[in-house]
Amino acid sequence: MSTNRHPIEQEELMAYLDGELPLDRARETSSHVELCPECQTLAADFRGVSQELMAWEVESPEVGIPSEINVALGERLQKREAAKISSPRFHNRVLTSRWVWAGALAIVCVAVGLKLTLTSRNRNDDHSTAYPSMASIEQYLMPDRNAEIAMARSAAPEAISSDARILVLGWRGYETAIEGKNGFVCVVERSWTSPFNSAQFWNPKVRGPVCFNPAAARSILPLTIKRTEMVLGGLSKAQMIDSIKVGFDNKELPTPEPGAMCYMMSRAGYLNDAVGHYVPHLMFYFPPTDKSSWGADLPDSPVTLNPQFQGGPEPITEFVIPVSKWSDGTAAPVM
Amino acid sequence: MTSDEALMLEFQSGSRAAFEELFARYRKPLYGFFGRRLNNPERAEDLAQETFLAVIRAASRYEPRASVRTYLYGIALKLLAAERRKFLTSSTFGQSASEPKTDGTPECVLWVRQAMEKLDAQEREILMLREYEQLSYSEIAELLRIPVNTVRSRLFRSRLALKSYLESEAKTNPALRASAGQPHPGKRGMQ
Repeated sequence: MSTNRHPIEQEELMAYLDGELPLDRARETSSHVELCPECQTLAADFRGVSQELMAWEVESPEVGIPSEINVALGERLQKREAAKISSPRFHNRVLTSRWVWAGALAIVCVAVGLKLTLTSRNRNDDHSTAYPSMASIEQYLMPDRNAEIAMARSAAPEAISSDARILVLGWRGYETAIEGKNGFVCVVERSWTSPFNSAQFWNPKVRGPVCFNPAAARSILPLTIKRTEMVLGGLSKAQMIDSIKVGFDNKELPTPEPGAMCYMMSRAGYLNDAVGHYVPHLMFYFPPTDKSSWGADLPDSPVTLNPQFQGGPEPITEFVIPVSKWSDGTAAPVM
Repeated sequence: MTSDEALMLEFQSGSRAAFEELFARYRKPLYGFFGRRLNNPERAEDLAQETFLAVIRAASRYEPRASVRTYLYGIALKLLAAERRKFLTSSTFGQSASEPKTDGTPECVLWVRQAMEKLDAQEREILMLREYEQLSYSEIAELLRIPVNTVRSRLFRSRLALKSYLESEAKTNPALRASAGQPHPGKRGMQ
């Protein structure tokens, strides 16, 4: 891959996939990769290597805090308590001196410094590598059920979503909040519908509003529900992958029905740390299909193959087409 | 969610609950860290505990200049180095006080381990910190005290080497290759 034909180095492509490029450079890379089969192949190779490595899981035994740690912890906390008890006399003496003001000033400075450091750290936490494991379930739930219903509905124009069945995420999985009339189902997906090797897989901030048409509600939505149940059931990623494969092998999981598609036109969603709410788009699902049959990823073609399904446990080809307006009819940014 | 750094500061101030939360967040990742590098579950458990004991002993010295994650893996790397020094004969990757335990290990895992062994030691470490501990380039650079660009270039080399190795193995042993490759799962939506 020479820079004569490619505006990015191979190493940069790797850094892009790792979420390690600055936003503007990441956008340039993304645009180029969408149009460059050679880079797509290399990207798939990098992802493939990561995927291979995922096979090496180390199952940790489930144990509480070991006694040695409990003892050490107790000793430390006791010492600290003792130090606190013995400190008032010293504290009283200090209070009377002018040093108290210097001390107070120092504390303020430290507090400000800490705040700045922590603020900076929290910003860094937004980085894509900040989600190594599942957060507490509460982090993925939306406390306001009505807000989740509204967000789910915002995936499609009102004419579609107002009569759709609406699902919301509860402690045990998705549950019907509102029954529908038109066969569409709207739901806010969470991070675990990302690829298993994605750094965003456990990002608790992800909210992906989507409205499935009837064919997709029957044949694609079950995959979201399946993944969610497995996540809430505490399965490892390897177990989830195996279970999905078995589900398809046994035909317990459906393949995409003809005409399966969905709307993702919400401006309220948050798809990942890199793209935020992204742009409004429609997605179309098929059993494994050659992308050339749709002219996907060709110069100036608005159709993109979503590469994240390629070679996955779900035998699905997914095409994405950006649209110009959000579901509320307002203009969307140009890609 | 309370940040790790805030929990650490609470622990410094005497909060047992803050430590317990940190323990819950990092027990499995640390066990995995040692488990993959030593291939000895008992020692992995011991050293994960040792890491937390070191945190307790040195809590007062923690300064929020570094993230807790980097701080913990910094301790873990030191413990790992000490462990390896104790067993000089285990200079080969994946060995520790005992021989690698392969009983019951899936073939695909053995194969990945074998592939990793072919890498240069430092490149392998960078790759593992990235893939398994999911550290950022700058966190790896900080831990290993090398420039970020070096992290990137070595990571690049190691991934290419691994890819090349995996491809050559696939040609010579297609059955094994097929069992190792976990397919890349899809995602609905551009996430």
